Amino acid sequence: MRRLVAILKSLLYLFNREKFFKNLLVLPMQLLLNFLLLPPFAIVIYLAFVNWQPIFGSWTEAPFVGVNNFIRLFAEPRFYEALGRTFVIVIVAVAIEFMLGLALAVLFSRPFWGRRICTSVILYPMMLPWVVVGFTFYLLFLDHGPVNYVLSSLFGPSGMISWFRSPISAIVAIIIGDIWQWTPFMFLIFYSALGALPKDPKEAAMTLGASSWQIFRYITFPMIKPVVYVGLVIRALECFKIFDLVYIMTGGGPGVSTETLSLYIYRVAFKYGQLSYAAAVAIIVLLSIALVSRLAVRPLLKEVV
Amino acid sequence: MAQAGVLLLRLQNVKKVFNSFVAVDNVTLEVAEGEFVCFLGPSGCGKTTTLRMIAGLEMPTEGEIFLREKRITYLPPQQRAIGFVFQNYALFWHMTVYENLVFGLRLRRFPAAEINKRVHEIAERFELMDLLKVRAALLDLSAMQRVAIARTLLIDPHLLLLDEPLNNIRPGLREMMRADLKRMQQELGKTMIYVTHDQEEALTLGDRIVVMSKGKIEQVGSPQEVYDVPATLFVAGFIGRPPMNLFDVQYEVENGHSWLVWRQHRWCVDKVRNQIEAAQPEKGLVLGVRPEKLKISYEASGIPAKVLLVQPLGRKDVLTLDLEGTTVHGVIPSELRINVGDVVFVEFPPEGMHVFSTATKGAIVHGIS
Amino acid sequence: MKRKNIAMTARPPVISAILWILHRLVVLLVVGVFLVPAVWLLSISFKPPTEWQVFPPTLIPRSPTLDNYIVLFKPEAPRGTAAAMLRVTEPVTKSFLNSLIVVPIATALSVTVGFLAAYAVARFRVGGAFMPFFVLTTRMFPPVAFAVPLLVYYRWLRLIDTPLGLILIYAGFTLAFSLWMTKGFIEGVPRHIEEAAILDGASPWRVLFTITLPIVKGGLAATTLFVFILNWTEFLYALIFTSTKTITVPVQLSHYVGAVGRFYGPQAALGVVASIPVVILGYMIQRYLVTGFSFGLIRR
Repeated sequence: MRRLVAILKSLLYLFNREKFFKNLLVLPMQLLLNFLLLPPFAIVIYLAFVNWQPIFGSWTEAPFVGVNNFIRLFAEPRFYEALGRTFVIVIVAVAIEFMLGLALAVLFSRPFWGRRICTSVILYPMMLPWVVVGFTFYLLFLDHGPVNYVLSSLFGPSGMISWFRSPISAIVAIIIGDIWQWTPFMFLIFYSALGALPKDPKEAAMTLGASSWQIFRYITFPMIKPVVYVGLVIRALECFKIFDLVYIMTGGGPGVSTETLSLYIYRVAFKYGQLSYAAAVAIIVLLSIALVSRLAVRPLLKEVV
Repeated sequence: MAQAGVLLLRLQNVKKVFNSFVAVDNVTLEVAEGEFVCFLGPSGCGKTTTLRMIAGLEMPTEGEIFLREKRITYLPPQQRAIGFVFQNYALFWHMTVYENLVFGLRLRRFPAAEINKRVHEIAERFELMDLLKVRAALLDLSAMQRVAIARTLLIDPHLLLLDEPLNNIRPGLREMMRADLKRMQQELGKTMIYVTHDQEEALTLGDRIVVMSKGKIEQVGSPQEVYDVPATLFVAGFIGRPPMNLFDVQYEVENGHSWLVWRQHRWCVDKVRNQIEAAQPEKGLVLGVRPEKLKISYEASGIPAKVLLVQPLGRKDVLTLDLEGTTVHGVIPSELRINVGDVVFVEFPPEGMHVFSTATKGAIVHGIS
Repeated sequence: MKRKNIAMTARPPVISAILWILHRLVVLLVVGVFLVPAVWLLSISFKPPTEWQVFPPTLIPRSPTLDNYIVLFKPEAPRGTAAAMLRVTEPVTKSFLNSLIVVPIATALSVTVGFLAAYAVARFRVGGAFMPFFVLTTRMFPPVAFAVPLLVYYRWLRLIDTPLGLILIYAGFTLAFSLWMTKGFIEGVPRHIEEAAILDGASPWRVLFTITLPIVKGGLAATTLFVFILNWTEFLYALIFTSTKTITVPVQLSHYVGAVGRFYGPQAALGVVASIPVVILGYMIQRYLVTGFSFGLIRR
């Protein structure tokens, strides 16, 4: 009996020591992430080098095909189209979100009556389920929807557009939807960054003779640059993965003309069942994003550390 | 409040109200060119708010401000050419020292050569030459302060306002920087208004001191004046370390003579009887004596007191005494070697006795001889 | 006489007034634009089938009805002509139940694990300076890319279409946010408070739960709400990893959209109902969002 108590006591002591403690704290996270991420990672690498099509049997029996999947990938025009399209969407959408977000944040920087409510209204699009946003904009851009109604009142019946019938207008509709949903994000970043700035340097600049515009240009904006950069990177990365909006609004159509990268992978994997090929695409995309974000983040680490 | 020298700044009945809080109440003041003026007072007395109104960072609710007799009351700070040094220096920490310094000049579109010349002049004077390319965020405090001051001087301001700039500096360095500041002001001849809550600082630095409390000016005068001739109870209690000893006394007339009475003791105030009687003495009087004026000795003349604490300060000792139940401070030369627990005798010298009115809180007489 | 406290420039009052009005107008315009889609969705949700495809579209339904909402939960219920047109397959209660089970549990798991790990990282520098970024990388990859192998893996584990499977995925992928956000809040707690407790003899566990935790309660709440919103609105993984048993609300909505016939009314109604929880939650954390998003880069 005394033995047991001694053992328990030493366990308890061990339990409380700092090293044990801190590793224990991280343990659940490591367990979860390792459980969740490692096997799939291994699997995806395996898959990319074999040719597995589920109809032909279990994945363990799939024939080895070397780098065939990758070769096919690099020759596949549809992949490049999807990639290009995604780039276009990201660049246009994020650029506009950046400018609008900044403008809104500046607009809201001076207090005014009802600012709290207006901020709530501006923020809510970010929080809606993405499918709801997609669906709402689908409704808005219907041939007989409000957008066309407004267009026809302004430009007459010929001003109306069949948004979802041609790829360009469909992409425009998607971009508008994305802007509506995510400008609040950029707004939030700018707004809180602006609010966190100390006001002394601005007053100092005033006494030295700077006008409001000069203060913004030489003092305020440079000070929030690091935050802006981070926000931009995060938003661009998220936008690159755009899926829900496109899926609901156009489903990739008409045909495949509005297919973004994520949608392409999805189609290939789940509609055509070519999981191996999809795995190859996934790996390439993963690597590229990792590379780009590492490059983009490195100058940032200097600022933070 | 007239003094020699050209009039630079004039505040007239300036009042500032925040919501319903009166921060600055009816302040009238004149500052001459080349003066070093200190605004002195406890936190919340309105000194910083007044300073900010002079700079244009706040606008008065009432009253007017004149710079060389031109009305600047509502003029925006950009157009006032008044330098302001903030408590935290407010440097542009994302810019280098050089960029901080040239900021004002660049805005005024000075030619590049001229800018360069001026900046290097000032950098030399303030020992900033090696730091010109350093980012402002990386400087140490004393360098920051120099940059903050140099930055304002470069735009050739009418006057310089400083808001407790030495607050965050550790005591040893503080005295040094204080001395530097005073010297610099005298060399340059720039008018400075310096806000502080440290009376030692104000007395050392200022040509004139403006003592403020609760938004009002209590007294304006030279360091000597506010020390020797405090105009109000507040000034008397605030200035001086250790603080002036204050006693609530009564006024009595007996046997044809006037007396100030405290407990069993009385002092004859015949010589200043008229002044006292004009100040409603029945509402109460306060007697004040500075610690260093108290005559303290072992000889049995005066009121007995027990020594509670002796603080040696080099050439003199500060004593804390128990005088019939009241705590009193005194200062004696260290040679006297008074010890804790001793009983000493305290005499109040008539020329060092200040009388104040409890009703008006103002001074009635300084010295009753 | 009241005056503005700081006159930024010496503009003549006329221009000041014009700018003031302009400013207010622009704000109103922006607010209006942001409201338009939501208003339209609401509008359609209250319209009977006859008005769905009317052109020119109207804002206020001519004969408003609650049928669209009713039919969501009781497909048999709608009356009249609506009944004929609204042949929705099954009530959405199931998907709501699923969401209401999976999302809170996943959120709780994510925030708990994230909080513990964040404490280790913040106080003991576990994982080095790069740890937070490393965890952030889980958010960087297109979910689809991960879905493929994950699907294989899950099939082998028989976790497809189970609440547990979805919970694990949601927890894993929001971990980055939980970690980052709570880490920021923990770092805001002054160390000397904890050190005082340690000197008093408290074990690290005690310190964590009785000292640090109460102080960061607000931040934890904000994180929880934020992660909840993320999980509730998540679509892709739910789409891929569930079919009929653990279908969640967003997936249900997508089914409606892809379904034969154009059930705009019920779809809109579902959209509205699905959005209400997160809009409310979003309003509650608004104040935290606004102050908490500078990523700690503005500090001087």
